[in-house]
Amino acid sequence: MEKNLIVQPETCTGCRTCEMICSFVHAQEFNPLRSRITVFSYEKVGLSAPMVCQQCSVAACMQVCPVGAIQRDEHSAALLVSQDKCLRCKMCTIACPFGAATYDPGKDMILKCDLCGGDPQCIKYCPSGAISYQDPLQATLAKRKSYAEKFKTAFEEVI
Amino acid sequence: MKIIVDGKEIDAVLGETLLGAARRAGIHIPTLCYHESLEGQGRCRLCMVEVNEGGRKEVVASCTYPVKEGIEVTTSTPVIDKIRRNIIMLLYKRATGSPVMRQLFQEYGCPQNSLQENPEERCILCNICVRACEELGSSAISLIMRGTQKRVATPYDEAAAVCIGCGTCARVCPAGAIEMTEKEGIRVIWNKAFAMQACSRCGSYYASREEIAHLTARKPEYVIQSDLCEDCRKRMMAEKIAVFVSE
Repeated sequence: MEKNLIVQPETCTGCRTCEMICSFVHAQEFNPLRSRITVFSYEKVGLSAPMVCQQCSVAACMQVCPVGAIQRDEHSAALLVSQDKCLRCKMCTIACPFGAATYDPGKDMILKCDLCGGDPQCIKYCPSGAISYQDPLQATLAKRKSYAEKFKTAFEEVI
Repeated sequence: MKIIVDGKEIDAVLGETLLGAARRAGIHIPTLCYHESLEGQGRCRLCMVEVNEGGRKEVVASCTYPVKEGIEVTTSTPVIDKIRRNIIMLLYKRATGSPVMRQLFQEYGCPQNSLQENPEERCILCNICVRACEELGSSAISLIMRGTQKRVATPYDEAAAVCIGCGTCARVCPAGAIEMTEKEGIRVIWNKAFAMQACSRCGSYYASREEIAHLTARKPEYVIQSDLCEDCRKRMMAEKIAVFVSE
């Protein structure tokens, strides 16, 4: 089973360090607009949720790309956008149900989490350990179950 | 198979083009009409290289030249450089209005001459926009007329029914020649005005309605939240998660 970015909203402090690191690693600048990960904070309930590409097994972005510019990386299992192949038709940004693929008009490219080639930098700098890079199966059963239910309900409402 | 490019031995696969093999090996060959997702067209001729096949030398367009066993390739020789300079000079004279061509003209140190310049023109007729539109399944634009009259246009210069206003042509154009304007929810491209879809939550315009309809018709199973912009789709998912985690 491949590793993936696992997010724990209850531990996230909403500091947005992941956004900064992500944009710095990919674009050499501290600009949250160029980040592949976005944190949403809800002060009333005291929660923050980092949102990032889920590297879906049947990915809408990959399916709608007219030229096959989005391919799964054999090593990290991340869905990678080949910027040379990409026509910038932005179909993937329309199709992704999580809004995880965005278009950066300044750099004229599609922004999407690439798992930093199998070594995600966001988890290294997350001060509270709200993002981790692990095999989803290794997480404890109870936690997995409770999350699965939450996600399932969330997805059901969306779909 | 193995081929030699600029004295370096590189791997190539039967059936691929010389340009494709060289790019993969990290060898730079300049191009204007080439895009990795579209077939080599051999239009701009900027990718000309010298191929030495068993002692016989010839100058070929690398984007359409299929690799052969044992060829030796030189990507820059005085002859090749002169060809490239001439191409850039001619394209600059044709499309003087393009900042990209102006920059290339200076970069390649092309000599000034008395050929007439065209400050109004920006298109270099590379055909990438036409090919990209075809790839997307619209084929709304094509090259029309012949000779000096040749240009890219929609049929009869009218608003094309099949155009979805996605703007891909404008984004892939290497010369920045395609005009696309967006103002107050109306996108205008190729003499056609497109009403943009406003996000049902934040109200920002994120795609043309035709674009969404086009995608929905082609891949209905993958277009779920077509009335939300990317940000709001992300935000909505975050809200759902926050609600369930806090409960």
